[in-house]
Amino acid sequence: MNKKRTLLFRVIAVLLLIAIAAVMLVIGRGHTVYFDNKAQTETGESFEAPYKVEVYVDDERVAKLYEDERGMCTNIGQNFKMVLEITPEKGADPYTVSVGLKLPYNMDGVIINLPALLAGQPASVYQSEFIQTIPEETEEEEASDDMGNIDMGEM
Amino acid sequence: MQEKKITGKKLLGLLRDNSVPLMFVIICAICIPISGFSPSYLLNEIVTRVGRNTFLILCLLIPIIAGMGLNFGMTLGAMAGEIGLILVSDWQIWGIPGMILAMIISIPISVLLGTFCGKILNMAKGREMVTSYIISYFINGVYQLVVLYMMGKIIPIKHFSIKLPRGYGIRNTVSLLNMRQHLDNLLAINIKGVKIPVLTFIIIALLCVFITWFKKTKLGQDMRAVGQDMQVAKDAGIDVERTRIISIVMSTVMAGFGMIIYLQNMGNISTYSSHSQIGMFCIAALLVGGASVDKASIGNVFLGVTLFHLMFIVAPAAGAHITGDSMIGEYFRVFVSYGVITVALTMYETKKRKMKSRAGQQLEEDQRKEEAEANE
Repeated sequence: MNKKRTLLFRVIAVLLLIAIAAVMLVIGRGHTVYFDNKAQTETGESFEAPYKVEVYVDDERVAKLYEDERGMCTNIGQNFKMVLEITPEKGADPYTVSVGLKLPYNMDGVIINLPALLAGQPASVYQSEFIQTIPEETEEEEASDDMGNIDMGEM
Repeated sequence: MQEKKITGKKLLGLLRDNSVPLMFVIICAICIPISGFSPSYLLNEIVTRVGRNTFLILCLLIPIIAGMGLNFGMTLGAMAGEIGLILVSDWQIWGIPGMILAMIISIPISVLLGTFCGKILNMAKGREMVTSYIISYFINGVYQLVVLYMMGKIIPIKHFSIKLPRGYGIRNTVSLLNMRQHLDNLLAINIKGVKIPVLTFIIIALLCVFITWFKKTKLGQDMRAVGQDMQVAKDAGIDVERTRIISIVMSTVMAGFGMIIYLQNMGNISTYSSHSQIGMFCIAALLVGGASVDKASIGNVFLGVTLFHLMFIVAPAAGAHITGDSMIGEYFRVFVSYGVITVALTMYETKKRKMKSRAGQQLEEDQRKEEAEANE
């Protein structure tokens, strides 16, 4: 009886840890979000870029983008909220738009085309994956084993 | 007169028992004014380092209670923590969730390595410290095999910022920028320019409470009994070997957590060297706090980490001021780390021998008395 109870507690503990790990995998997924303020014409339709867009995340300005500029910020989790302060033309009065987005789990870097987003297009139009180019490295990094010699780095 | 002699002896004994911390207090007292650092800078650095290292040092206490000495095998837990962090970095899990996930990943690895280490230490009773030290080198080889050859080939690693250019193996340095000081900054408060990582201190306090509570539990008492005398504990019905394995497993798991807390503060992993010296530094810090091979307390941990790191901060600057070469200070703090371990181990052995010889003398005296009484 006692052994059964111990086993049960152990199984529950393991399941609990797995459940916590699964939750962490979802809520802790980090994304780099790139904002493009450029006219999008790839889908056939054309969405003109405003003169200036300021992007605020958690009340902090993360990007100030003029036409054809790109900004970025990081986000933990799939829910992304931002406030855009848009100046349509030079000298015009700016207006703000609050945007809430769902970021795809499988994308490390997500590019958001702001003109397409502001035009109310679906995610497939304004969202694309940022694919990092791998820099060519000729020299291989070698792992070192100091065999007990003290590392005098910061402790 | 007699009273004065007794007081003098007591004072001398007290000085002898606390010679290592006193030596460090003197070193720090000399080096602080020479280094020229402001009190607020020193306080900031000390608070940061206490938050960074205390959890790791606390994990050494449980094997000491169980009479297994200083657990050089804590490196095994540190490696498990690093593997967790490497995987989490590749999966792009950031911030506190990333830390928690890394800790969960490290648990089974730590348990496995701790059990292995505990079983070997049971085969080498009485020589636990040197055995655990060599085990840490052995497991370091296995760790390198896993990280350098299996990661990327067998264990999937996606990101090229982590992988070596050849397509498998992990780079010398893995960035933890998206996790850096997330734990320290959450709930942090700033008092007159000194940042206090409240959440980190809460976690350390919880571990202290756990250790204090654990000592009072049945298992904790068993460990104490095993630490005092294995044979007596065995006769009392305690499963000595199992108790010893549990103490090492607990220490290893805690070391894994401690390493994750340590590395999130640093902001990067030196894949092949972060863990290699961690055991040495933690043990040195604990000994500086006045602990010995068979006796250590939470107080020793805090005093040790403060004094040892104070010396770490001021020694290079003081060395640079005195000799004009900052490397002198670097060498100084390194040889002091090794030196303090040597001194503590020597003192422990000397004390043990003295006690043995005193017990022998007492026995001889008692026997003489008995013989004299019998003759009368």
